[in-house]
Amino acid sequence: MSEATKFTQDILTNAKAKADSIILEAEAETQRASDEAKIAIQREADAIARAGRSDAEAIKRREISEARHRSKLRQQREKDRIMQEVLDETKKRTFEIVRDDSRYIPLLTRLVESGINELGTELALIHLNGTDLKRVAILERNMTSSASGRVKVEWSKEPIDALGGVIVSSRDGRIRIVNTLDQKFNAVEPKLLIEARKSLFGE
Amino acid sequence: MSGLETIKVIVDAEKEAAKIISDAMTRAAQIRKGLDSTIQEQRQQALADARKEATASVARAEGEGKSEAEVVEREADELTRDLVSRASSKKEETVTKLVAMVMEAEK
Repeated sequence: MSEATKFTQDILTNAKAKADSIILEAEAETQRASDEAKIAIQREADAIARAGRSDAEAIKRREISEARHRSKLRQQREKDRIMQEVLDETKKRTFEIVRDDSRYIPLLTRLVESGINELGTELALIHLNGTDLKRVAILERNMTSSASGRVKVEWSKEPIDALGGVIVSSRDGRIRIVNTLDQKFNAVEPKLLIEARKSLFGE
Repeated sequence: MSGLETIKVIVDAEKEAAKIISDAMTRAAQIRKGLDSTIQEQRQQALADARKEATASVARAEGEGKSEAEVVEREADELTRDLVSRASSKKEETVTKLVAMVMEAEK
């Protein structure tokens, strides 16, 4: 082999080695960049998956929570319905007393007398409903002298809007003692509700 | 081989060597250039897969949530029926008690 041939071979060998090195370096560089990109892509994909899982959990929780809420409302509506029925029936039976003279007349007499005493004026104007206005004579007979003796009693001819009981007022109407059955029932209603809840639902 | 021929052989070899290196550099540039589009494709694919999985997971959760909600409502309805039944059996007793309370209050 001549010197010139050896020299040219060296030139070509060196060039091939440099070419290989250039390509290897490019490949290594892209491999590194590709690996880094894969990690970054995986992070992005993981974030999307995490958000999806989180949304999914929230949706599941919401479905269950709404179902619980709906059930609670249905239960509360049922309870309210029963409470209302009991209260209505209690009211109905309470007011049935007005149809039983043997029980109602003494009660009405008591309500009139306590109204007069509570009013404490020299004149008491008694207001009754239309039905009870027909019982004035009986009431006058039944009233004890302690109530009617020292107080002048007048009976209003205007019927009041009440199921039973009485309103006792001063002549000018500025002082009023409301002893109607309706008012009595309303006054005791909060206690009735508590008792009914305890008795029906053990609450 | 004459001196002139020797120089020509060397010059040709140098030219070939320069071409080898130039080709290698072109190839390296192509490798680098392809990387961006490859990464972009991989990213789009990976994110599309992740979104698809997330959507599926939401749909699955909706189904599971609805099923569990049905169980919850069934159980709650059963409880409500029991409660209503027990309360209904105590209605008469309760009304009697309440009427007594009202009467007591009117004395």
